[in-house]
Amino acid sequence: MSHEYIPEIATSRDGTEYEVQGWQDDFYGGKLGFWLFMFTEVLMFGAMFMALSYYNVLHPHEFIEASASLNRLLGGINTVILLVSALTMGLSLLKMRVGDVKGAKLMIWATILLALAFLVIKGFEWRAEYNHGIFLMHGEMLPESGMAFGKKLFFGMYFTMTGIHGFHIIIGIGLMIWLLKRINAGKVTPEHHILHWNIALYWDIVHLIWVFVFPYYYMIGAGGVTGGH
Amino acid sequence: MGTNNTTIDYKKERSAYYKVLIGLLLLTAVTFIQPHLFMTESTFVAQMAIAVVKAWLIIMYYMHLKGDSLIGVMGIFSLIIVATFFIIVIGFDVANFQYVPESHITGPASAGVEHATPAHH
Amino acid sequence: MSKSYFDETHTAIGHPKSTFMQWMLTVDHKRIGIMYAAVMFTFFFVAVATAFLMRLELFAPGAQYIDGDTFNQAFTLHGVIMIFLFIIPGVPAVLGNIVMPLMIGAKDVSFPRLNWFTFWLYILGCIIALASLFTDAGFADTGWTFYAPYSLTTSTNVIFTLVAAFVLGMASILTGLNFLVTIHRLRAPGMTFFKMPLFVWGIYATAWIQLLATPVVGITLILAIMEKYFGIGIFDPSKGGDPVLFEHLFWIYSHPAVYLMILPAFGIMSEIIPTFSRREIFGYRTIALSSASIAGIGYLVWGHHLYTSGMADIAKTIFSFLTFFVAIPTGIKFYDWIATMYKGKIILSTPMLWALGTIITFTIGGLTGVTIAMIGVDIHLQDTYYTVAHFHYAMLGGVVFLFFAGLHYWFPLITGKMYNEKHAKIAFYLNFVGFNLLWFPMFIAGYYGMPRRYFDYLPEFQIYHQVSFVGAVVFITGLIYMFVVFFKGWRSGKPSGTNPWNATTLEWHLPSSPPPLENHSKVPYVDFNPYEYHHGEPVVKFDYETMKRID
Repeated sequence: MSHEYIPEIATSRDGTEYEVQGWQDDFYGGKLGFWLFMFTEVLMFGAMFMALSYYNVLHPHEFIEASASLNRLLGGINTVILLVSALTMGLSLLKMRVGDVKGAKLMIWATILLALAFLVIKGFEWRAEYNHGIFLMHGEMLPESGMAFGKKLFFGMYFTMTGIHGFHIIIGIGLMIWLLKRINAGKVTPEHHILHWNIALYWDIVHLIWVFVFPYYYMIGAGGVTGGH
Repeated sequence: MGTNNTTIDYKKERSAYYKVLIGLLLLTAVTFIQPHLFMTESTFVAQMAIAVVKAWLIIMYYMHLKGDSLIGVMGIFSLIIVATFFIIVIGFDVANFQYVPESHITGPASAGVEHATPAHH
Repeated sequence: MSKSYFDETHTAIGHPKSTFMQWMLTVDHKRIGIMYAAVMFTFFFVAVATAFLMRLELFAPGAQYIDGDTFNQAFTLHGVIMIFLFIIPGVPAVLGNIVMPLMIGAKDVSFPRLNWFTFWLYILGCIIALASLFTDAGFADTGWTFYAPYSLTTSTNVIFTLVAAFVLGMASILTGLNFLVTIHRLRAPGMTFFKMPLFVWGIYATAWIQLLATPVVGITLILAIMEKYFGIGIFDPSKGGDPVLFEHLFWIYSHPAVYLMILPAFGIMSEIIPTFSRREIFGYRTIALSSASIAGIGYLVWGHHLYTSGMADIAKTIFSFLTFFVAIPTGIKFYDWIATMYKGKIILSTPMLWALGTIITFTIGGLTGVTIAMIGVDIHLQDTYYTVAHFHYAMLGGVVFLFFAGLHYWFPLITGKMYNEKHAKIAFYLNFVGFNLLWFPMFIAGYYGMPRRYFDYLPEFQIYHQVSFVGAVVFITGLIYMFVVFFKGWRSGKPSGTNPWNATTLEWHLPSSPPPLENHSKVPYVDFNPYEYHHGEPVVKFDYETMKRID
């Protein structure tokens, strides 16, 4: 990306000059492109929510029971961790925009640490579930087990969605490390920070997906047996 | 040329971030107490409503969508498509599920062991 | 001789000296489009060969050359290549890449390096798809639609194809994203949305479908992989899953996918008809808005693939109504094109022949689609040769014919040379006659009950298969003939000049032919409509060095 890009001028027949938008140095275009990519992520997770809702309608009580058996404490801690990480990422972008590059990098490190903490806690959750006999191709999830259809479907989608979400967190950590390298190389600066902007948007969308995953899986069974619908 | 604004009010934007954080933390707390406090018969609806409010705060402030009309319009267009086909059209199909007595997959909750053939193909 | 984009290029990494690496690393949209075409048409001919093998086997009842399981793999391979490797990248990847930026006065797409990356992602997808041919388990035998639960239980290699389709889907999404931002950001000053050429409108509507529909099939394939290899219950009835859910999720993408195929093709038609009628297009605004509405309504009609699956009756009725409804914008386009030709000075060059041939074949394809949109009729014709003939008339006789028309139309732009007109016309007639001989008997066979994807059949259907085989031979001859005409034209054709058709849109106002690397010498100010003709002559004239109007 050349930093010395000089835009062309087009002149109309009455002499008025218009600046031509080139593909280089197009901050708004970069933002627009990334938002469009995020719509595709929303649609991917949306389709999974749709499948989940369908089976929820077919097996309402089993879904509530299965939901009640998830660890709400760990899920809640993860929610708060991700919340604060969205703040640190947003602050890192703000600091970059006003010129505090050092502060920006510090905040990115904070976000990375919080993301790793999220993954560790998720690992504990999954291990606990494994020990209860609920994990992919294991114990109660095997076709010959006696666990009810609704619960099998719930846990199948649970592992799939939290797994894909966790995969997106890992990608996010990778992106943040790459961002730090680009900042150190001087390619991301307070004047040219579209990459930083887009990675912050990416992290926000990862958080946004969890905002819906958490209540759907963990909270619908929270109120006791009836839970309500 | 590479940025979209020249003057940034650092203190104002930072305080906006913190205010939204407090809002989100409060909403998370509400998420936990809602099943015991209000709308206990319709937890699902309450939880999803809280999630939508949280999402709106995140999109407007953290993702800076406030004031970005083109992307906002595209987002609303995409959501309408999603809402229409995901919820409304499939909803018609699911709400009028026709083969409940014969269907293997809507059978009693304990039906997990047999490998009977499905009622339709 | 001034330098063209064949002489110099921008690359993604470094400054390679060898021509080969300059092509491998190029970020120039024109070169990327050519590379897409080379790869896509190679795979196209592989799929044509597979189809010919099937036609050969089906010439007579009983097994002659291959057995039933191999036949299943053959139609799966044919479908996967034709749909995922050829027609979905199709017009956007080739003509969208090469021509669209030129039409809006841009120097490249918004994200050239992403364009480069997307091309290689596509190649990766192709390799993964075909790798399963060389494994022990063999290529998938499920049909390109991978219906559960068979796709979950078959022992053939489904995962390669599922992963390949996912990767190819990602490439499609990124192409759509690139084009959307390009069209929003890089139009020449003065070119509002309603001054864009209609091909750009077609690409724009297509890009929205690529962006919003493809993720759904992406996740469906992931869920199918999770089910088959990680045992989650989602489509498998033995775990409480619902196979019809797979069909819903699959067709939520695959139906908009066919609009993704046809909209750029209709855009090509909208370019060719005014140029060869020497008239402004009739109903510019309605054609533009009908592209947008086809894209929009097309999201809502997928259920017509599921009429016999056990959906609720009320859902079937809604889908049937919406399917009839989506035919209306298409009809509007056809009437507008015919109105454009009325009282125009028609020039029957090869692109125009292909376009006119498509009006016939796509009308047949479209109308037969409307007949099977009726639920009662579809109960009898679902999964028969009638359906097969319908979608081949629409996809092959619509999309691919218009793709060929576009290739003939923009051939002088891309190569700087002209093909032999007489031989190109002969190729068209061979293709057109062969195509109709091949597919029309299938309407009748299907009506009398010949099922699709069947390896063997009752003797009463034999006559239809025999006529189809003759048609296949003529059609394939025509295809090969056409490509020979292209190769010879590129090798040793006459130089064509920058505007051999005397057309009006911006891609014909370049300083040299083939175009220079940076496209227009200067970006013009656009204060004119795209199809302004006066007494058969273009109104707008440019000085090509300064790109100022001199009319």
